Amino acid sequence: MAMVVDYKHDSSFPYWTSIRRRFDPDSPFFSSGNLERELLAKQVALDLTEDERNQLEKMIDNDARGVFCPIVGCGARLTSLEDFEDHYIARHTASCSVCSRVYPTSRLLSIHVSEAHDSFFQAKVARGYAMYECLVEGCDLKFKNYKGRQQHLVDKHKFPTSFEFFNKAHPSKKKRLKNQQKRRTHKKDEEASSKMEVENEIIDGLVSAVSKLSTSDSSPSNISFGRRNARGLTFVPRSIQAPREKK
Amino acid sequence: MADDSLASHRRDPIKSSVGNVAAQRRRQNAATVGKERRESLVRAKRLCRVGATGDGDVPVEENDMMTDEEGFLLEDQTSSAVKELKSAVAYQGKGAMQKRVNALRELRRLLSKSEFPPVEAALKAGAIPLLVQCLSFGSPDEQLLEAAWCLTNIAAGKPEETKALLPALPLLIAHLGEKSSLPVAEQCAWALGNVAGEGEELRKVLLSQGALPPLARMMLPNKGSTVRTAAWALSNLIKGPDPKAATELIKVDGVLDAILRHLRNRKDEELATEVAWVIVYLSALSNFATGVLVKSDALQPLVERLATSNSLQLLIPVLRSLGNLVAGDSHTTSTVLIPGMKSQVNGVVKVLVKCLKSDHRVLKKEASWVLSNIAAGSIEHKQLIYSSEAVPLLLRLLSTAPFDIRKEVAYVLGNLCVAPAAGEGKPDLIKENLVSLVQRGCLSGFIDLVRSADIEAARLGLQFTELVLRGMPNGGGPKLVEQEEGMTRWKDTNSMKTKT
Repeated sequence: MAMVVDYKHDSSFPYWTSIRRRFDPDSPFFSSGNLERELLAKQVALDLTEDERNQLEKMIDNDARGVFCPIVGCGARLTSLEDFEDHYIARHTASCSVCSRVYPTSRLLSIHVSEAHDSFFQAKVARGYAMYECLVEGCDLKFKNYKGRQQHLVDKHKFPTSFEFFNKAHPSKKKRLKNQQKRRTHKKDEEASSKMEVENEIIDGLVSAVSKLSTSDSSPSNISFGRRNARGLTFVPRSIQAPREKK
Repeated sequence: MADDSLASHRRDPIKSSVGNVAAQRRRQNAATVGKERRESLVRAKRLCRVGATGDGDVPVEENDMMTDEEGFLLEDQTSSAVKELKSAVAYQGKGAMQKRVNALRELRRLLSKSEFPPVEAALKAGAIPLLVQCLSFGSPDEQLLEAAWCLTNIAAGKPEETKALLPALPLLIAHLGEKSSLPVAEQCAWALGNVAGEGEELRKVLLSQGALPPLARMMLPNKGSTVRTAAWALSNLIKGPDPKAATELIKVDGVLDAILRHLRNRKDEELATEVAWVIVYLSALSNFATGVLVKSDALQPLVERLATSNSLQLLIPVLRSLGNLVAGDSHTTSTVLIPGMKSQVNGVVKVLVKCLKSDHRVLKKEASWVLSNIAAGSIEHKQLIYSSEAVPLLLRLLSTAPFDIRKEVAYVLGNLCVAPAAGEGKPDLIKENLVSLVQRGCLSGFIDLVRSADIEAARLGLQFTELVLRGMPNGGGPKLVEQEEGMTRWKDTNSMKTKT
């Protein structure tokens, strides 16, 4: 039985201690909860009709206001609740700790990690096991190689032929030669696309393709920060406006 | 300044004896202004046209955004309005007061009609010194009101624009006094709230100029929009990072009582929301304030609001206040949640469970945080949580919730498995809890965290895995971890290869 990390000799292992954690009011920990409040840091006393107020709430001055995403290492700047939700869903629902690629569901992330970063997985593939899962949830078919899975997605699930779940960024020279040999008989665009970096558009393509075909995934469905229509301006009797600058 | 105030006291009796007519007119004017403030007004575009051409009913296209042309028009009008105000202020003859008020009103309207008030134009034209003059003691209410309103909107702009209000601050603060009419005091509070919301520097200035006590006193009455505005302004004023203001606020006579009273106000949720934010800052910044709040059992109305309200605006600051109180020093926690008083702790856990069940990410995350802090308390605290409805919810959240919630949930579950630290060395395990939670499938959630990009989360995953390796009976830990394919995720994959 393999024991990997021999931590017993590492006397500085930080064992779990249960301690209280306190945060300052301006800590990023509270950012998401502060979002609506930040919008109220300054309030203009306006004379507006109901309609105008609603219109205003849709128009936001992007330059002066913003909150930073609270996820460690992200640093993205968001200027509205909707932005934040979109950003969060896009960037932090499932990101690979090895290569930082982002996936829209945990399942896809898990598949990616196995296929791209797991030597155990590769070892099994080399021994002829069918390890490449179909990406469509509920299909459950497995394939012996990446291409086989790819073909299945196109044939069975109508994925676009340009679709690539994963593209190796810099294949080694040996690999490139190997790839070229294999691909001698294949079409040109597949060769080109297989050498491409994974782009966001491809991820989006994946998202739309998968979402059209699968009815369930494990990612949380309704991420919302509150009522969309009434944007939480607590001084409703006095018409007020989302301010431009806040602290 | 002192001379002015003496003069104003002398002036008032003379004014009111001169004529009831004058007083009546003042009241009518005040009513008009009040009406305008309360009602919704004519569409912005139409007002613009009327101002420029003088025509009453020019039809206007419905546009969403103001065009550049209209923007320039607005700026021009603003400059003119300031010029008009200048001459009105200089004018000493008959009807001077009405002239001033009219000029102020025109400027106020220009500053109130769009989401981009022409503040820069107003400042360039020299509005501030004029507005300061209009705030002088003894001025009629309508004048004070309009001037404060203009300043409010100027202060709502960019930082430099807010800072431009510096000369006006002492007067604005002064008009918060108990002799001021309520609408005037409220409008001044609003302007000051905007200034305080700008940043630490301006807060310091306001505090040094004595803004806190009068604002605090404005919060004492039972109801009214003035109370709400004052609470909002105070929340901006004390938000730190210097804790002094928070400490000072709680010491003001009657404030603690007012805060708790407003928190309990079922009819006015907006007021409760503003006050809840005040409590957030009090509890986050000032240990003294936290102590006072705890001693007066502020916990009880907080818990009750969490139980009965469904307004996210209110729930967020109330939950956070609760969290801040619990996160305070250990003395506080042991008195806040006395393990012996089971019903009290259970009440707290119950509302936290309600938050866990909600749809809102913020509530789930911060409720988990609070639970993690309670779970960092005594063994009794841990067991109270462990035997509650929270655990099945937490286990589910650990596998399905967004990342930031999972992290907090991890803290709760881990804290439930580890006894309070007693001296050096690794803390003892609470084996029954650990075994039970692992049997209910929490390990994979922790292993997932190891893989995350967030270092803190990865550390949590590793620490919990260590607990499993150490604590599962009959040496079953390693096997369990391996089953979760945890081994293949270790960073040290080289040693893995040689061993397989």
